Amino acid sequence: MFSKILIANRGEIALRILRACRRMDIAAVVAYSEADRDSRAVQLADEAICIGPAESRRSYLSAPALLSAALVTGCDAIHPGYGFLSEDDTFAEMTRAHGLTFIGPPPEVLERFGSKAGTRTLLGRHGLPTIPGSGMLRDDAHGVAEAEQIGYPVLIKPSAGGGGKGMRMVRSQRELQQAMTVCRSEALAAFGDDSLYLEKWLEENRHVEVQVVVDRYGNGVHVGERDCSVQRRHQKIIEEGPSPALDQGRREALADAAIQAVVAAGYENLGTLEFLLDRDGNYYFIEINCRIQVEHPVTEMLSGIDLVAEQIRIAAGEPLGYTQQDVTSRGHAIEFRINAEDSANDFRPQAGLIERYLPPGGPGVRMDSHLYSGYDVPPYYDSLLGKLIVWGPDRPTAIARSRQALDELVVDGLVTNLPLHRALLAHPTFLDGEFTTNLLDRVGSGAFLAAARAA
Amino acid sequence: MTGDNTDRTTIARLAGEVVPALIDRLTRSELGELEVREEGWRVRLRRPMASNGEAPAAGASPASGHKQAPAPSHASHSPNDGHAPRRDLDRGLITSPAVGYYAPRDGVGVGSAISNGDLIGHVDVLGVRQEVVAKIDGTIDALEVEAGQAVEYGQPIARVAPERMVADV
Repeated sequence: MFSKILIANRGEIALRILRACRRMDIAAVVAYSEADRDSRAVQLADEAICIGPAESRRSYLSAPALLSAALVTGCDAIHPGYGFLSEDDTFAEMTRAHGLTFIGPPPEVLERFGSKAGTRTLLGRHGLPTIPGSGMLRDDAHGVAEAEQIGYPVLIKPSAGGGGKGMRMVRSQRELQQAMTVCRSEALAAFGDDSLYLEKWLEENRHVEVQVVVDRYGNGVHVGERDCSVQRRHQKIIEEGPSPALDQGRREALADAAIQAVVAAGYENLGTLEFLLDRDGNYYFIEINCRIQVEHPVTEMLSGIDLVAEQIRIAAGEPLGYTQQDVTSRGHAIEFRINAEDSANDFRPQAGLIERYLPPGGPGVRMDSHLYSGYDVPPYYDSLLGKLIVWGPDRPTAIARSRQALDELVVDGLVTNLPLHRALLAHPTFLDGEFTTNLLDRVGSGAFLAAARAA
Repeated sequence: MTGDNTDRTTIARLAGEVVPALIDRLTRSELGELEVREEGWRVRLRRPMASNGEAPAAGASPASGHKQAPAPSHASHSPNDGHAPRRDLDRGLITSPAVGYYAPRDGVGVGSAISNGDLIGHVDVLGVRQEVVAKIDGTIDALEVEAGQAVEYGQPIARVAPERMVADV
């Protein structure tokens, strides 16, 4: 097992990784940018090291800064969290070259699953139905040609990352040409890589993803699925499990197909296979995320498995130690992403002083957040303030507890998306479990907010 | 706008009224720097910094009898002592440009006279040397790290006592 881990991330996930290290008796060093000097993770850390200025490219995206920080503090592993360099095979390779372990898939595995087009082909060969899409786009003209082949509407996606950055759905060649420039610059800013690819856009689809855990020796389990259909411009807002769109038989069939395919294809460590589910219940594999995900607590609440700890154990070379029969799922869990953005004003991101922060409590309520009263939210990074995760023995109970928890949660000083969450919990489409990924964009979040006010 | 006359009027007003008023304000305040902008012009006055980062008492005794603001407590920003304080205004402080191991340049030590832009050492980042340079003219009056010591980004490496800034008005 590792003796000391460098946490190469910020915000709530830095805190989450720090907690896992504590629980496992592993020393941890929090790497932070100048803008995060007063962050909760830095305050809680036994050791913290400033790696660069606020600008991500010179701090959280700087491989030399992070590796140098790990070496001077005597770490033997680096946890990249999500976003930033978490799926960067070059960074994983450099980490290894300096005698350190990258906590995630090994570099060869990241490379094999790094190309989204390549992964679709690979997992398609191992039995997963895939969505039509392009390879990496060489230039705009190539994009136009590929889109003609696939047929509009298409979704532009960045090859390097997730989280909705650099993604756009376009319905015509004109829209495509305009959007590619924007997507390139967004992808470059977020992931340091501006390569794009295209995917067929399905109207009225649901987003369902399967969590897998695979050790170095080819033992793997799935830990069920999460439904992330409540999205705004491809940014997940609410995630829940199990998916209201799947019955028990189809749920197991999907998860079994996913775990069999990735194990056969030689995957290793934690991963998430994302699928689109169409109206008729057909599923299509779209991509694999080779990292811990923002919404991992949903699965933790259902299964009782500490996914970050599993990730660290497997990276250290430990065998899984349990089988699919040992993995159980109980009840229903919902996660709400609490973002510093103004739902009523085109979701403009907010930064500034948190005057008061009071997290909710009660049975089944978990709040993963780096906020504290008096914390100054810096303007340089994403708008995630925290995640409220609520468990109940069934979906209606989880929803009822969620309402209560959202009402208890106080974040004063910044405008947040709490009103949108309350509005969604009052909406029949969500209550019926019928949400599709483009519903919020098509109807407009303003309509949801207005409906909630009128009720 | 027709250029010359307007410019002359502005300059006269700046020199005759604005700058003296600002000097007076700065002297009586606890501020280290004062900047005023209006359309087309900007005036910035900065107090010379003493080597400990505090603004020294102004030349004329402040009529109001204000005390100096205390220097920020260095340890309060972080859980351990290795962290750098905020030092945005302190140009006499030379800080590390990167995370790595510090190597001083031969012959640079306390008492060395240096100029703005002079190299005082390197930070070794995975074998690549990042330059550590002075930002003002003056004399090194403290070295904060030793050869071979690990440094973080922004960590104080040396302090330079400035040549007195001239403030003839």
